[in-house]
Amino acid sequence: MEILDPTTEAMAQSIAYAPRPASLEGKRVGLIENTKFNSDRLLAKIGDILKAEYGAAETRMWRKHNSSVPAHQEIIEELKRTCDVMVAGIGD
Amino acid sequence: MTTLPLTSKRYSVADPAEAIELCFEKGWTDGLPVVPPTEERVRAMLDAARLRPGDQVAYIAHRAVSVTAEKVAINAVMAGCRPEYMPVVAAAVEGIGEPVWSYHGPGTSTAGAAVLTVVNGPIARELDINAGDNLFGPGWRANATIGRAVRLVMRNVCGSRPGTLDRGTLGHPGKLSYVIAENEAESPWTPLHVERGFRPEQSALTVMAAEAPHQFYNQLSNTAEGVLTTLCDDMRISGNVMGQPQYMLVIAGEHMRTIAKDGWTKADIRRFVFEHTRNSHAHLRRTHRMAGPVKPGDETLMRPLVESPDDILVVAAGGRAGAFSAYIPGWGSKRSSQAVTKEVKR
Repeated sequence: MEILDPTTEAMAQSIAYAPRPASLEGKRVGLIENTKFNSDRLLAKIGDILKAEYGAAETRMWRKHNSSVPAHQEIIEELKRTCDVMVAGIGD
Repeated sequence: MTTLPLTSKRYSVADPAEAIELCFEKGWTDGLPVVPPTEERVRAMLDAARLRPGDQVAYIAHRAVSVTAEKVAINAVMAGCRPEYMPVVAAAVEGIGEPVWSYHGPGTSTAGAAVLTVVNGPIARELDINAGDNLFGPGWRANATIGRAVRLVMRNVCGSRPGTLDRGTLGHPGKLSYVIAENEAESPWTPLHVERGFRPEQSALTVMAAEAPHQFYNQLSNTAEGVLTTLCDDMRISGNVMGQPQYMLVIAGEHMRTIAKDGWTKADIRRFVFEHTRNSHAHLRRTHRMAGPVKPGDETLMRPLVESPDDILVVAAGGRAGAFSAYIPGWGSKRSSQAVTKEVKR
């Protein structure tokens, strides 16, 4: 007898990653805050370290609508215009 | 009957016992044995819902996954569904694919949501979906297998596997199956699907990302206010108190008759429960649910458990005997996921 595969067979997908910068010197850093308690403080701290220890020029923070969705389009558009790199993450 | 080709990969096995073991080895099951998904069974499933193999039942945007009818049918066979359950399974999958249900959150979250599914309308009675005794317990094929099929779709098609993309810390037994019907035959109230925009003679289901049922007791009061006062006292601190999720109330036979005798409608229940489940900011701060020290005015500043009375979904279901009912906190917050009602198309 034969049975059928219940899973979604992986379809070939190519994801175009932006090239990684060799250094953060002078870079503008976007921080995406996921709305969870203290996530803004954690990211601000990370931003400070990136400036003090890695020479990043500036940081700017955005807040997502909620923690379980991707950053909304307005954030992405603004980030593309005003930042060179970004930091995002999720944690409880 | 569809003769369009089924495109899923095929595995040859000697017999059904070997097929069952292969499904375990491949990681395709929820821990229980499955019915081997043969072509004949899968086609019967598709035909019963008048679906073609390539029809897209849902698209999970955050995962970039298209859920096809063929995959839903294969998983429904594995779950033990009869072909006539397929329209219900498909409607539930459609529901969890809606943007406001927001699959990625409840499908993945550490808070461990299950897909609470309430079936309304004629199909619930035709398929013998239990609305009575032992409501959330075992014993009814439709209740046990429809929800199981949805969970297998989540696991096998959407990638929600425990430990990887399903990160539930505790999870709960409803993640095996969590399907009930409303007891429309005995309920004095407007059915859930009618409150949510459908006609009584339509079949529809409501999917809500939800915690386990919390049973409460009131064996003393013979008034609506008495029973609901107990409910509110039990419910006030429950679920993600600070998140304001939606809630479902499942009112069983004795409580249903007591509340209805006083002339209360579902809207009256919602209003009363909304008013009586608020917490003071002071209490929320003292119990470390709200951040920061208690401030002047916090003793009288009240935070509602839900954003609005409409976020309390009321369903009449459960056994005739026994002065128990249940409240079910939704997952996370209404901001992150909302209940969805879909027509069961036949």
